[in-house]
Amino acid sequence: MEENKRFTRRDFMAFATWAIGGLISLGMGIPAVAYVIGPALKGRENQEWIRIGSASKVELNNPTLFKTKILKQTGWIVNETELSIYVLTNNGRDYVAMSNVCTHLACRVRWISDQEQFFCPCHNAVFDKAGEVVDGPPPRPLDRYEVKVEEDQLFVRGG
Amino acid sequence: MAEKLGIWLDERLGWRGIWESIFLRKIPKVNWAYTLGSATLFTAVNQIVTGILLTIYYVPTPDHAWDSVNYITTEVTFGWLIRGLHHYGASAMVVLSVLHMVRVIFYGAYKFPREVTWFTGVFLLLVTMGFGFTGYLLPWDQKAYWATTVGTQIAGAAPGVGETILKIMRGGDELSAITLARFYGTHVWVLPVALLLLISLHMYLVIKIGISDVPKKGAKNE
Repeated sequence: MEENKRFTRRDFMAFATWAIGGLISLGMGIPAVAYVIGPALKGRENQEWIRIGSASKVELNNPTLFKTKILKQTGWIVNETELSIYVLTNNGRDYVAMSNVCTHLACRVRWISDQEQFFCPCHNAVFDKAGEVVDGPPPRPLDRYEVKVEEDQLFVRGG
Repeated sequence: MAEKLGIWLDERLGWRGIWESIFLRKIPKVNWAYTLGSATLFTAVNQIVTGILLTIYYVPTPDHAWDSVNYITTEVTFGWLIRGLHHYGASAMVVLSVLHMVRVIFYGAYKFPREVTWFTGVFLLLVTMGFGFTGYLLPWDQKAYWATTVGTQIAGAAPGVGETILKIMRGGDELSAITLARFYGTHVWVLPVALLLLISLHMYLVIKIGISDVPKKGAKNE
């Protein structure tokens, strides 16, 4: 008790307890965080060419809707989901494939051929034939897929 | 800064007195066998933390249980570690509980005035066994399925009420989605609540009454 400033046996034990406790907490805490956020960090690994239909079905200057069922794996479940893609061509050789998912809040847009515009029912968004924003809140044009034609079959890249 | 904050909080919460009576309390001169209770408590904390983490991915239905467990083990980052800690931690918790109990028996630490502490400890062991029994079914693999088939059948062997107990445990005549769901509910709600209440009481008594000295040959009552 004469030397209060000394690092006592008791101080050492307290320090060791905190240090070991801290190490265990870190050893548990870091994996725990990785464990929770892990699936969110996984990239879209399966970008493949998906056949969506015959290119001859695409009407000239009129976005044509193609629907394809694809298998999608989320966690341990493989689900069949429907992919809806509008394909536009101006010359019958070059094709543009647009997602029907509105770039505002992901509702589904529809092509209204009378008005020659895409219309989204959720917040009155309007896109033109090429997917450019005409009116409403969307921050960017409709998303496009990489597209290719092989022996009259249309393929888009996605997953 | 930290000290000022500590004083500020102490004036309002009185935490220092609580801290001191828990961690700086006087104890007799004891040996390493007296750490078994704390070790058991540590495994309980481990089970709670890893158990909560496992529920983030686990799904307690026959068509998803095994797949979700497999997903945790093979796909999720550190999933193997979290599941492994929960799996081996369960065994460690049972072993340490029993060793702790053996120490209390051999040192006669269950005697007056610590009988209630002892009773809560006995119930804690039962709760721990309950955790082991219900948790074993959750991966829903062959081992889990047949272990629970046999386990519930053993309960069914009790004279008179056996059949009824068997049916209540299984939620019907045989193991099914109902069995899995109720084992899960018991494992993550009923037993944890019981465990926390019993641990609180157990710890309160250990601190309030104080722990017993190592018995000595020929020692007189103080």
